[in-house]
Parts: sequence; structure tokens; C-alpha cells
Amino acid sequence: MLHRRSGIAPPRCRILARTLALLGVILTAAALPNFQLQRAASAASIPGQVTFNKDIAPIMFRSCAACHRPGEAAPFPLLSYADAKKHAHQIADVTRDKSMPPWLPEPQPLKFADEMRLTPGEIDLIQRWVEQGALEGNPSDMPPPPQFPEGWRLGKPDLVLQAEKPFVLQPQGTDTYWNFIFRVPITETRWVKAVEIRPGDKRYVHHANILIDRDESSRRREAQPGAGFGGMEIRIESQAFEPDSHLLFWKPGSVPSVEPEGMALQLNKGADLILNTHMQPSGKTEIIQPSLGLYFTAHPATKLPMLFQLEDDDKLDIAAGQHNFPVTDEFILPVDVNLLAIYPHAHYLGKDIEAWATLPDGTRETLIHIPHWNLSWQAVYRYAEPVLLPKGTTVNMRYVYDNSEENPLNPNHPPLRVKGGNRSSDEMCHLWLQVLPVNFDPTQGDPRRLLEESLAAHDVKNDPSNFEAHYNLAAMLQARGQLDDAVSEYEAALRLRPDDAVANNAMGAALLANGRPQQAIAFLAAAVEARPDYFDAHYNLGNALAQLANFEGALRQFRLAIQEQPKDANAEANLGSALAELGRFGEAKSHFERALKIDPNHSLARENLEEIQRTMKRQ
Amino acid sequence: MNQSRCSLKFVRVLCGILLAGHSGVLLWGQLSAIDLDGKSTNPLAVSGDKIAVLIFLRRDCPVSGRYAPIIQRLNQRYADRASFSLVFPDRADTPDEIRKYLENYGYHLPALRDPQHELVKLAGVEITPEAAVFDRHRRLVYEGRIDNTYVDVTRTRPEPTTHELDDAIQSALAGKPVAAKEVRGVGCYIADLE
Repeated sequence: MLHRRSGIAPPRCRILARTLALLGVILTAAALPNFQLQRAASAASIPGQVTFNKDIAPIMFRSCAACHRPGEAAPFPLLSYADAKKHAHQIADVTRDKSMPPWLPEPQPLKFADEMRLTPGEIDLIQRWVEQGALEGNPSDMPPPPQFPEGWRLGKPDLVLQAEKPFVLQPQGTDTYWNFIFRVPITETRWVKAVEIRPGDKRYVHHANILIDRDESSRRREAQPGAGFGGMEIRIESQAFEPDSHLLFWKPGSVPSVEPEGMALQLNKGADLILNTHMQPSGKTEIIQPSLGLYFTAHPATKLPMLFQLEDDDKLDIAAGQHNFPVTDEFILPVDVNLLAIYPHAHYLGKDIEAWATLPDGTRETLIHIPHWNLSWQAVYRYAEPVLLPKGTTVNMRYVYDNSEENPLNPNHPPLRVKGGNRSSDEMCHLWLQVLPVNFDPTQGDPRRLLEESLAAHDVKNDPSNFEAHYNLAAMLQARGQLDDAVSEYEAALRLRPDDAVANNAMGAALLANGRPQQAIAFLAAAVEARPDYFDAHYNLGNALAQLANFEGALRQFRLAIQEQPKDANAEANLGSALAELGRFGEAKSHFERALKIDPNHSLARENLEEIQRTMKRQ
Repeated sequence: MNQSRCSLKFVRVLCGILLAGHSGVLLWGQLSAIDLDGKSTNPLAVSGDKIAVLIFLRRDCPVSGRYAPIIQRLNQRYADRASFSLVFPDRADTPDEIRKYLENYGYHLPALRDPQHELVKLAGVEITPEAAVFDRHRRLVYEGRIDNTYVDVTRTRPEPTTHELDDAIQSALAGKPVAAKEVRGVGCYIADLE
């Protein structure tokens, strides 16, 4: 009489996010003042004499002033002769050693957007200017000063969020890492075309990344709601298959950029934005309270980029004193992609960082090379043009670490053995790529799933003890309907972490979907025991019990599920079904009605409601 | 009176400094370093057995700022045996701007302006922040960085591994020669203020 089998909504499971180092998509770019330089080669009054007005001001205005002006990250302005004269020798030093402007990658054929690099000619001009006494020159040679917009760079945001509580940065100490959670007050899915990150105080926040937490999983880490939490690297569980797609990154000089049409970022109701910040002390107490400006578009995404990560942290085991410790990884692309951006990440022992692609025809393309890694200036690098990497291309990375006394940034003095890990004194070798699958056949499913599956298989091969890799591979196999293979990968994951609530639930859900409710029950019960507030596990366990006609047990589980998520239409509908099976039509009716109130289009609730109304009439 | 004794000693010491190759010529009474109330002052004319420590800072130098807690900790540790003074060589600095700076960083130390760079020349410093240590005989025994926290202006060590100023103070107090007499600092050039 009732739609017993089909009347139960499908099992649910979650996908674990890969460990997100410092995440970011590319709504950002390095800043360039919005003016065109008049680089007139006006004849010098004295041959060979370099002056500020004629030679140096154009360089400062174009390459320095975006940060070196009031309210921005740099500690002093460089907007006038007097400003530059006061720091002339320092400017000569830092341009000569290329620490300013901060731009780590070597020149290469594949260009990045907004490269902040001085030419050898410009560096030479600055040196000569200082050697000749840092002269001002003829006022008529002075170019117009750069113009920068006031306030929000893209106009008034559609939504401004401020961190609930400021972070108090202590005057002294080493680098500080703090995460702010922004609860986003939206009532429906919105599409974000740009985000402006205001990091609080640009002079002390060195960089900041936004991660999207779609399941409030980071809130558990706050001591009080809104307080934020410490930590350099954070890991976020994400629901279903929603791979991260954008690198939202701020560094000094960043200006927000608008995503191309069709590439907006999906922001669901209930999602939190986590701002991961890296701060350095100033010598006095500083109050850091960041804010975010969100810009929405009415156009949902039609192009779905994806972030993927090469890493092999497992290989990081660097003996004390090691000067050159290499770690390599490679990955063969299963689909054609356009590479949009790249984000290398290592900690304080990183020295030489390189990534390259070997195309199917054997051509080698350098994707990025940073010969002198410096965590303080890490950044997301966006390519000037998308880089087509055909299916079969091998993406390689090679990072070299220096754990000797000669590395001044070594967190240990004297050096200690260092392994991979999330603390800043641990090491990492991560390479994030933002890719947009292209040239695929849409009838063959989502190409990002193929990428995700290949990555999980690659991670399992790299490290058979990688729990997340087994889990993610299982989830991909399950999504594609290869349930037996999925079950054996979940088994591998559970051998590594037998008590993991998420993996037990997923295993149970896979068995349930495979028509094996009897076997599913043990795993789902383990999930519920490991995490008593786990909605999905209660819900799935209810379904398994219902399939075995244990409706008393099922209704207990559905009630527990509803306690966790009172607004879930499926749980209400299933509770109604279980009650109806037990002949408790009156109660069943109210739960079907509640399901329909939550979701007026819930067809199963409606059909079952009609069914019991007919039955009740007949009685 | 006490002061004349001091000054005699001081002139003698200055000869020593000149012989040692330093360019500073500082004669008692000609000193142009001034305190925040506009009075000429001699930070080396300190009482008793104390040694004198000058710390040169620029308000617009972030490296100077970041050292504030370290400078104050050293001052607290040696307050009974060393006289610390902060020296601001930027002639554009007004007393009120310096007072504001001291308040922001929580300093409780005497501050001087050195618009003619006489203390700069006497000490031989080139960068802010750098320190100069004068022993009980008012001989310059150390000038240079506070420690090696900064590798260059864009890179800092998690912790300094050398502590040149602290070592120099300890040696001066013990009457022992300072191991490194001059170690260049990282920060902002004083010459750019000329």
C-alpha cells in the first residue's frame, strides 16, 4: 500500500575535502594603478644624469605606489620626491636584490597576469639615481600622480560582512595564523562574481585566503561563537560533490577582480566563509578585524572550474642539517583542461619550487619556478591567458627543502628532523591548480568527477595509508555506480580509521544503495556511536532499519535525525512512512504535512499523504 | 660640581674615539642633541657607574617599530646598570610626533632628537634600528644591530640566533672587550635623512 521502497529518500554521504592548505580562486590580482604611463624618453638636461621626476617617478608610480600609499600595506608612501628621497638607499638595495616589488617567480614563456617585476633597465636606473645623489630634477618632467579609487574597489558591495570579534595581535613574537568565520546571511543560493577582502590592517596581515565551509564544520573549533580559531592550515569537510573551484586570495597590493561571465562562485545558504590570515607583529598591540565585500550576479555558473592539488607530504621527512631535500610528484590529466591559475605552497624550509607540464607531444612547459621561496610572499598566480593542457599531459612538481642552519627561516635552531604536517613548524609540499575542463562531451557526465577520481587514485598510489584518498576514491566510484569497487575502497579507508564516523556512514550508505541493508546496519550504528549528533548517519540507519521492516527502530532514528535538522523534508517524510507502516496514521499524516510545509514539491510525501488519507477513509 | 668632572672625562674619551678612527667630534657644550622639551642634553653624561646605550630609531621605519618590545625588555633587564636613550635622527620629526610614537609603542624611555646627526656621527651608526654602547669610560665599545632577527627587510627569523646588543652590554658591564664591535643592521638608512 505504501511506497515502502521508493518511499524512502536515497542515502546520503559526504565527501571529505582534500586538505586545503591555504586556499584561495582567482578573484584576485596584483594591483596595478589604473593609469597609463607616459614613459617619454625626454632628453636629459645633463647626459647620463638620472632624476626622480624624469626617470624614477614613473617606476615608483607604476610598480610601488599601489602598496606604498596611505592606508595600504607598505610601511611608508612612495608618492613624491620627498617620500622616495627618505628611503633612497633602501630602495636601491631592495630593487637590486629583487625583494621589492615582491614577485617570486622567475621570468618564463608562460606569462602571469599583473607581473610585478622591474626590468633590468629600471633596476639600473634606480641604482644610478641613488649613486648620483638622488636628485629631484626638473618639475616639468614629473608625470601626473597615480589615481586610485577610494573605498571599495568595485563600488558598493552587495553584502558586507565584518568579523564578529577582532583578533588582538600581540606586539612581539613570530608569525601568527588566525581564522575568522564569517556567517553569510543569505536565504538562497547566490552567485558571487567578486569578493574584496579587507584584511583588517593591511600593514600587519601578510596574506589572507577564503575557504568555503558549506557545512559549518569549522564552527566547532571556535571557543565562543564568532571568536575565530588559530591554525595555519585548516581542513574542511564538504558535502556531496562540490569541489572547490576558486582561489580567493589577498596579498598586499591585491585588487579584487571580477570573474568572467559564467564563472561565478556558488554560495549556498548556510555556507560559512573562513578567512585564514597570516600576520606579523609590529612591535605594538594591533587590533585586526577583517571584513569582506561580496558582489553577486544573477547568472549562475555555466563553466565549472575546479581546484586540484598535487602533494606528497608523506615523503617529507627531512633530516636535520639537510641542505637539498627534493620532493617530486606527477599527475596525468584524464581530460583536456585550461589551466587558469597556480598556487604553490610550502612552509619555512621551502627553497626552490618548480612545476612544469609535459604535453603529450613531449613539449616541456614551465608552469612556475620560484628559485628563492619565501612563505611571507606566497601568492596565487593567475596566467595572463588560459593554458591549454590536453588529456595525457603530465603535470610535475619538484620542491627542494633546506633544513640546515644556513636557512635563516628555519623554525628550529639548531635544526631538527621535520616531517609533513599542518603546523607552521611542519613542512608542506602542495601545488594547487585551478583548471577549467574543456573539449568534453557533456553527455558523458561531469568531467570534474573524472579529475577527482584520477586524483584520488593517484593519491592512493602515492600513499596507500592516505585515508582521505581511499575515501574520496570510494565516493567517486560510488557516484559513478561502481558500488562493489566503492565498498572495497571504503573498507581500505576503514582499515586505516575504523572509528571514523564519516567513513562508516558512507560505507553504510554504499551498502544500502547496493541492496545490502543487513550489512549496512553495523557501519551506520558505528557512525552514530562515533558521532551521536550526525544527522546523515541517523537518517541512513533509519532507512536501513525500514528496509528490514524494523519500523520501530527506524522511527527512532528518523526522530534523532530530525532533532539534528528540524527542517529536513526527507527525514519528515520517512518518519511519516515509518509511522504509517506501524498503522499510526494520525501521526504519520502530521509528519507528511510537515514535510510538505518544508518542501511543497516533495512528491513522495504528497503521494504517501494521499495514500494514507484514502486508507483512513476506508477504515 | 659633578658636571665639570664628567665633562673632563668626556673630552678625554672623545680623543680616544677620534684616534680609533671615528669621525664624531663631540665637545661638551657643543652637543646639539635635544630632548623633547627642546633642551640640549648629553645622553652620555650619566651618573655613577652606569654605561650608556643609545638606540637610533626612525618613526617611518617598520623594523624600528618591531624592535620596541625587545628594546624595552633590554632596558628593564639592565635599568640599574645602563642608561638607555632613544635617538630620533629625522630632523623633520616634531617633539609631539615623537611623544605620540613613544605612547603608541608603550615606551618609558628618554627620547632625544638628533637633527644635526651629531650622535649619529659619534656612534657611527648608519641604519635604524641600530644601537651604540658606551662603557663607563664613555668609550664607544659597540655600534650596530640589536640582534639578527631580520635577514633582510622582507625576511625575518622566527627567533634571533645572535644577540649583539645584549652581548655588548654584558661585556661592557663586565669590563671585557666586546666580541663584535660593529655589525651592520637591517632597516632604514640614516643617510637618506640628510
